[in-house]
Amino acid sequence: MSAGTSLGFPAATPLQAGETVLLPERIGDLTGLGEFGLAGELFAAFIAAFIVANIMMAMTGVAGPWAKRKITAAFTDRIAVNHLGPGGIFIIVADAVRLLSKENIIPEHADRPAYDLAPIVIAGSALLGFAVIPMGSGIHLADPEVGLAFVFAVAGIASIGLVMAGYASGNKYSMLGGLRAVAQNIAYEIPLVVTGLSVVLFAGSLRMSEIVAVQNETVLFTIPGLEWAVPAWYALVNPFAFVLFLIANFAEVGRNPFDMPEAPAELIAGYQTEYSSVQFVLVYLGEFLHIFLGGAIIATIFLGGPAGPGPAELGIVWFLLKIWAVFFLTQWLRSAIPRVRIDHLIEIGWKGLLVLSFANLGLTAAIVWVIA
Amino acid sequence: MSTGIEKSEATGEEDALEALLADRAIAHDDHLNAPGFVVNPTDVQDVLTDLREEAGYDHLSCVTSQQYEDRYETIYHLTKFADRTDEVSVVVPTSLSNPVSQSAEPVFRTADWHEREAYDLVGIEYEDHPDLRRILLPETWQGHPLGGDYDQEKPQLVTLTEHENPIQPDHHDQESDTMFLNIGPHHPATHGVLHVKTVLDGETVVDVEPDIGYLHRCEEQMCQQGTYRHQIMPYPDRWDYVSAGLLNEWAYARAIEDMADIEVPEYAQVIRTMSAELCRIASHMLALGTFALDVYGEFTAIFQYTFRDREVVQDILEELTGQRMMFNYFRVGGVAWDLPEPREDFLEQTRDFLDELPAKVAEYNDMVTSNEIFQTRCVDTGVIDAETVKDYGCTGPVARGSGVDYDLRRDDPYGYYEDLEWDVITRDGCDNYARVLCRMQEVEESAKIIEQCVDLLEDWPEDERTVQANVPRTLKPDADTETYRAVEAAKGELGIYLRSDGTDKPGRFKIRSPCFSNLQALEEMSEGEYIPDLIASLGSLDIVLGEVDR
Repeated sequence: MSAGTSLGFPAATPLQAGETVLLPERIGDLTGLGEFGLAGELFAAFIAAFIVANIMMAMTGVAGPWAKRKITAAFTDRIAVNHLGPGGIFIIVADAVRLLSKENIIPEHADRPAYDLAPIVIAGSALLGFAVIPMGSGIHLADPEVGLAFVFAVAGIASIGLVMAGYASGNKYSMLGGLRAVAQNIAYEIPLVVTGLSVVLFAGSLRMSEIVAVQNETVLFTIPGLEWAVPAWYALVNPFAFVLFLIANFAEVGRNPFDMPEAPAELIAGYQTEYSSVQFVLVYLGEFLHIFLGGAIIATIFLGGPAGPGPAELGIVWFLLKIWAVFFLTQWLRSAIPRVRIDHLIEIGWKGLLVLSFANLGLTAAIVWVIA
Repeated sequence: MSTGIEKSEATGEEDALEALLADRAIAHDDHLNAPGFVVNPTDVQDVLTDLREEAGYDHLSCVTSQQYEDRYETIYHLTKFADRTDEVSVVVPTSLSNPVSQSAEPVFRTADWHEREAYDLVGIEYEDHPDLRRILLPETWQGHPLGGDYDQEKPQLVTLTEHENPIQPDHHDQESDTMFLNIGPHHPATHGVLHVKTVLDGETVVDVEPDIGYLHRCEEQMCQQGTYRHQIMPYPDRWDYVSAGLLNEWAYARAIEDMADIEVPEYAQVIRTMSAELCRIASHMLALGTFALDVYGEFTAIFQYTFRDREVVQDILEELTGQRMMFNYFRVGGVAWDLPEPREDFLEQTRDFLDELPAKVAEYNDMVTSNEIFQTRCVDTGVIDAETVKDYGCTGPVARGSGVDYDLRRDDPYGYYEDLEWDVITRDGCDNYARVLCRMQEVEESAKIIEQCVDLLEDWPEDERTVQANVPRTLKPDADTETYRAVEAAKGELGIYLRSDGTDKPGRFKIRSPCFSNLQALEEMSEGEYIPDLIASLGSLDIVLGEVDR
């Protein structure tokens, strides 16, 4: 792909892709901001980022106080929130007011700058990842050559946030939770990235738009009698890698059965034990954003991104559906699967997933080589 | 030390005991079901060792302590795991001026906590005891509340600075690289207000010390202030308060009926047996649910499922007793009232529950016990072998999960159990998994018992439905009658020691709580294991702090 071909918008930064029209460009075009040179571009990019961030935050807002409750309730024979509004949906407003109006208690022994920064790092790192995700319907902030590497890199920053939170809280439970988070993230990030790499071998590119395009352009097989062709989504091409990635992802975002860093029965709430009020909201927000980012990565590299039946404008709908499906799966596991023990977790990571992910990589390389 | 003269019947066994103890037994002090030997405070370890090694009394069920006008007294209630009906009491009097007695801890591990409690509440000191501190009351408490000279009117004034803060100490030392961690008293996994002082080496537990007493409500003293006939019965509901109420009530009912020589009508016994087993099911369901909370995490479906099923049991019990938790349904000599009318509906309701139960148990087996992650979490964790179980006086599913075939319903029959078909469940796993499975299978056995009771109740002739024996309005058992009686409660052997002083209130009311003894074994289970296993072990013990602290 030739980078930087101008499509009514000068490709000024190396982050800009070629063929796809990115959201900042569109906004630049629509508002005429593109005419104002670099400042205009920056402003357009800012607006675009604002839109994307708000979509994701809104989703988190729905997921945290409402959807999560409803989903777990359905799994556990309960009703959950139902008093405020249809299906209790207005609990979101009530919860927002409640959480924000609480007193922010900061422990005496907290290591101040780190303690305050940690929630921002946790939430921010996840938001950053969405920058390179093609969400369909033209919502795509940036499409750098190294898209996939970028998203793994920024998602990995969250570990630093967790350690900061754990260490700076001045609480032993937080400390244990933070240490667990590091051990777990190191153990699972490698299989995660290596499995992601096998997709890159197929697609021949790290660029997100390219990975999505290749999946949807290739036809895996056609079902006789049906007009509809099954696209070569990598979840179908290489289900083994898909499952590996899914498992590693659950560990990466710290969800059941790998919710070690929090493990409420053991560590109260792990690294987030001491956080209250707004900071708690930020930590929580960060967690949900990470689940959604995990879902977004899975959707992009395994499930054809925003592709789906119907006109291309529906892309964002399909994309969000896929993310929510992953979120739903996390809640399902949470209701049904026991937590593994920390030593088992590390063992599964280093002895199981790592080996399997490299085997998968080798196998994929061999297949790609044979086909080529 | 009552009259100390008469023996009901001198069996051969008693003679053998007498021969064994020889002149160390300075007098007799027989209790209603057990011969009692009075022993010098310096001979305690000797005598107990002999009784354990030579005569096979391997179960120190309870240690009762009390103060008379002229002396302190410690009673060791011994029995056998192999034969529960074979009991013997070792009575150790000490003088008022120098209440020092030899500790039984070197012989029976379980004596550790029991003697600490005796020291705490009554004020007897035990020589050789490894760690004689207060256990239920705070360290700074003034006086011993069950002792004779204790002034209840005197306020306990301890300033905050004087008060030792149990949360404060940090055992961190530079060389060993360990970390001290307070788990509780407010912690999601402590099932109430339990404080576990833990020393960690990384994620590994090096040392565990449960700190109890946060829920101490002077239950023994309150029972001592109530009349036998009506005022004591409501209290047992509040010991193990999570739906095991009727099982607890039975413990008191059995003790007082034994002491006052009351014959309970058979019909009432059937109702008692049925309702008690319903309680056991409810209690075991709760145990499974909270164990799932510990192992699965807080949003698990298992907890809700068990609560859904427990709810059905609660409804039945509510129909029967009019209450959901604090039943107060048993009476001295029977039960409060007959089955609710229309009788058929009630029995139908119970049958419906029994019909649905197998499917539910199968569901639990699908969901929980056959789950592979669950098995890796539970198999071979929290291991406690049969010998240690006996040493710590663990009973109930904890003992049976370690292969100790011990169940008072069969070994020391009461109620209607003898005439029913059911099995005692034992498992050899000795681990958390065995304990969970044991409880789940016991649920099935309880269902069998209930079913037979329902059949019996259905066909019971209408004119023979006596729910209560003729019990005098005021019960005044003969002075200095002593009895120690136990029943199989949900968590194990729940025993009551009663001593009458000739009035209508007990002179001493001592509760032997199964959770108390079981919890003591926690350190054996969890030292050297990981924190998650400590939490799982604590969950598998199924303690209720209301019963531990009383």
